[in-house]
Amino acid sequence: MSFTLRSVKVPPNSANLEEARSRVFEFFKTACRSLPSIMDMYNLDDVASKSQLRSVISSEIRKNSHVTNPKVIDMLLFKGTEDLNNILEHAKQRHHIIGQYVVGPQGLVQDLDPKDRGMSNFLKNFYRSNYF
Amino acid sequence: MGLGLLASRAMRPLRNSHSSVFLRTIVSKPELQSAESSAAAQAPPEPDLPPRTPVGGARIHFPNPEDAIEVFVDGYPVKIPKGMTVLQACEVAGVDIPRFCYHSRLSIAGNCRMCLVEVEKSPKPVASCAMPALPGMKIKTDTPVAKKAREGVMEFLLMNHPLDCPICDQGGECDLQDQSMAFGSDRGRFTEMKRSVVDKNLGPLVKTVMTRCIQCTRCVRFATEVAGVQDLGMLGRGSGEEIGTYVEKLMTSELSGNVIDICPVGALTSKPFAFKARNWELKGTETIDVTDAVGSNIRIDSRGPEVMRIVPRLNEDINEEWISDKTRFCYDGLKRQRLNDPMIRDADGRFKAVTWRDALAVVAEVALQAKPEEIVGIAGRLSDAESMMALKDLLNRMGSNNVWCEGTGTQPSADLRSGYIMNTTISGLEKADVFLLIGTQPRVEAAMVNARIRKTVRANNAKVAYIGPATDFNYDHQHLGTGPETLTELAEGRHPFCSAISNAKNPVIIVGAGLFEREDKDAIFATVEAIAKKHNVIRPDWNGLNVLLLNAAQAAALDLGLVPESTNSIESAKFVYLMGADDVNLDKLPNDAFVVYQGHHGDRGVYRANIILPASAFSEKEGTYVNTEGCTQQTLPAVPTVGDARDDWKIIRALSEVAGLTLPYDSVGGIRTRIRTVAPNLLNVDEREPATFGPSVKPEVTGKMDTTPFKSAVENFYMTDSITRASKIMAQCSAMLLKK
Ligand code: SF4
Ligand code: FES
Repeated sequence: MSFTLRSVKVPPNSANLEEARSRVFEFFKTACRSLPSIMDMYNLDDVASKSQLRSVISSEIRKNSHVTNPKVIDMLLFKGTEDLNNILEHAKQRHHIIGQYVVGPQGLVQDLDPKDRGMSNFLKNFYRSNYF
Repeated sequence: MGLGLLASRAMRPLRNSHSSVFLRTIVSKPELQSAESSAAAQAPPEPDLPPRTPVGGARIHFPNPEDAIEVFVDGYPVKIPKGMTVLQACEVAGVDIPRFCYHSRLSIAGNCRMCLVEVEKSPKPVASCAMPALPGMKIKTDTPVAKKAREGVMEFLLMNHPLDCPICDQGGECDLQDQSMAFGSDRGRFTEMKRSVVDKNLGPLVKTVMTRCIQCTRCVRFATEVAGVQDLGMLGRGSGEEIGTYVEKLMTSELSGNVIDICPVGALTSKPFAFKARNWELKGTETIDVTDAVGSNIRIDSRGPEVMRIVPRLNEDINEEWISDKTRFCYDGLKRQRLNDPMIRDADGRFKAVTWRDALAVVAEVALQAKPEEIVGIAGRLSDAESMMALKDLLNRMGSNNVWCEGTGTQPSADLRSGYIMNTTISGLEKADVFLLIGTQPRVEAAMVNARIRKTVRANNAKVAYIGPATDFNYDHQHLGTGPETLTELAEGRHPFCSAISNAKNPVIIVGAGLFEREDKDAIFATVEAIAKKHNVIRPDWNGLNVLLLNAAQAAALDLGLVPESTNSIESAKFVYLMGADDVNLDKLPNDAFVVYQGHHGDRGVYRANIILPASAFSEKEGTYVNTEGCTQQTLPAVPTVGDARDDWKIIRALSEVAGLTLPYDSVGGIRTRIRTVAPNLLNVDEREPATFGPSVKPEVTGKMDTTPFKSAVENFYMTDSITRASKIMAQCSAMLLKK
């Protein structure tokens, strides 16, 4: 725990959007730099390549590209940093990484049936669960 | 809570007069012991402004403005109609008086003495529930005398009440517990043995622990007055006083469960719920009941994914504050016999679980192969309006118009709304003075409507006449006949009862929906209308011609126009879609027909089904229902669906897409917009939409009535639909309580 706290220092809030933006890029770079050791640590070479993981990181960041509030960006960055640290500390296990970043939330079951291509979102959701 | 509020208000004058003592709200103190001295020290009452809100939103209705009188409650003036009791006046003034025996819907007994208040110029505290308020009365509810009196009463009550709250099912919602916290003394002086009483067996629904009884007699009054059974009574005197059935006998009333709610202590509790849960760990969902057409307002108490109990919710217009035993105890049926996976029947007749994808693909393929006139869709008695709309739209897209709701007969007439709803309204029945029940046994078909009729019979001595097979009533009635001949006699004015109807101020005719199933129903309804016309039952200011429906889905189905095109479509059907329909007669169905059963219980409909699509039950979905008086209400999901089940309308929407006939909506909002174009009244939730036209615009009917007597529509009150048939408690009830 103390280790986590040390590594996740809370930086002062970003003053403006520009600063927050540059911090995001910083974070992305840090994450990319730690990729080799992560792949080593979790034996990821046989399931993913570095570039794949890099694009996963960037798409995770792009998911929040609509956020313009520097405070919110700071918060998301904090979460990202925390996650990264947890990974580096080996606080996660291999299947966590694979489930979260290699396979993705869709899971292994993909709708590969060509008949299902034209399916509406309703039907896709319907097959998944009653609650949508 | 009201009591806590009251308790803190009780504290206030003390604070004014003796600023040193306000450590606890309820304590025994010297100034409480000598009432006179502290009363003298009391500061002159100053009106407590701004005005307080009446307790529980109590409304006052002045029948005659001259009869208003003014009384003062704690110095605060209130206007109330003459004849109200002191307790009611306090309620209007926003003061909640503690009580045990008083219940607003029962007669006044005045035997618990908990409601004592001080009235100026009266030598002793008075029992406010039994004392009529007089003009200018000065009522004081928070004086030391009143508090002392309550404390004393509490002490007497607790003398013989066991201290078994930790194992008592009423714990947490017990009036005695709450009020002893608020008004009781902080110590007991009783050292002798407490008395104990033998428990009584009241049947499979009500558990008794009679030692806990405080002899408030609410249950006795409920049984005699509302339920109309003379089963319960008070035996013995003094400390030997006991509540019980006089002889070893079960309580046979369809409303018996309500004594659980009105018993202020844990003497009468729910047997199926015993030791199952504590009330504070339950989540309440305000929804409505679908086991009959009344649409009683209920609260489903659930813990996690399980329905733990069902209790009534107040709705003056529909069920007041009672519900029938079927409504209250059917919930264990929601846990048994559930369908949880889509299933297809194999060649060897066994069901095999499949995925939704495969199930829908099979259904779509078969449906598209059938000719439009060979497709039939039947909605069940528990279907909600949304799914019926979707079913009708889907079948129409397939080119078939053979869609209807079971129980509406082969040729329902959905054209005139007045022809299938209760035009007088359920609460309007209270104004009636003559009832003519035709082919309906309200006691088993709609217990809450029957309770209204009984209330009216008790209140204004209304006369009840009945045509139909011999049956049980819990009020005086005249049995006029068993079949259509009596109707003819009434229509022609030959029957002695005619004079009673025509002399009545507000006559009411109630026709049972069981008659919908008869071949000669048009002729019967024409005759009934003739009776109505002849005896002036329908006037501009009073519409006394009613139909009492049987199922929750019926009114909405007719509103949406679920009317089959041809009367014998089942005989030639190749593809039958049963949406929860269990009671349709499928004997005539060709053997090669493909039957889809979409529903939540493995009930009768499943026996013939080729494929099963599991759906959610009323406790698990949001659905619109219309009750027998035309009031639109909605259920809310209380618990998650079972297994891989889906909401009814979603299944049909998904099927439509798989079949390539995509319906133009994919959300509840969208489907409601579609409903608006068909029956806009289904969107005005909690409102009753009266029928616009009376039967006068109906075309002439030519046809003769059959002479076969009327049949009873409900054979077994406790088991009418797939949920109640799956319920163990209901099975016990039918075994023990139904008279054979
Ligand atoms: S059983 Fe309950 S309702 Fe009946 S008299 Fe006793 S305390 Fe009152
Ligand atoms: S409530 Fe008044 S005496 Fe019981």
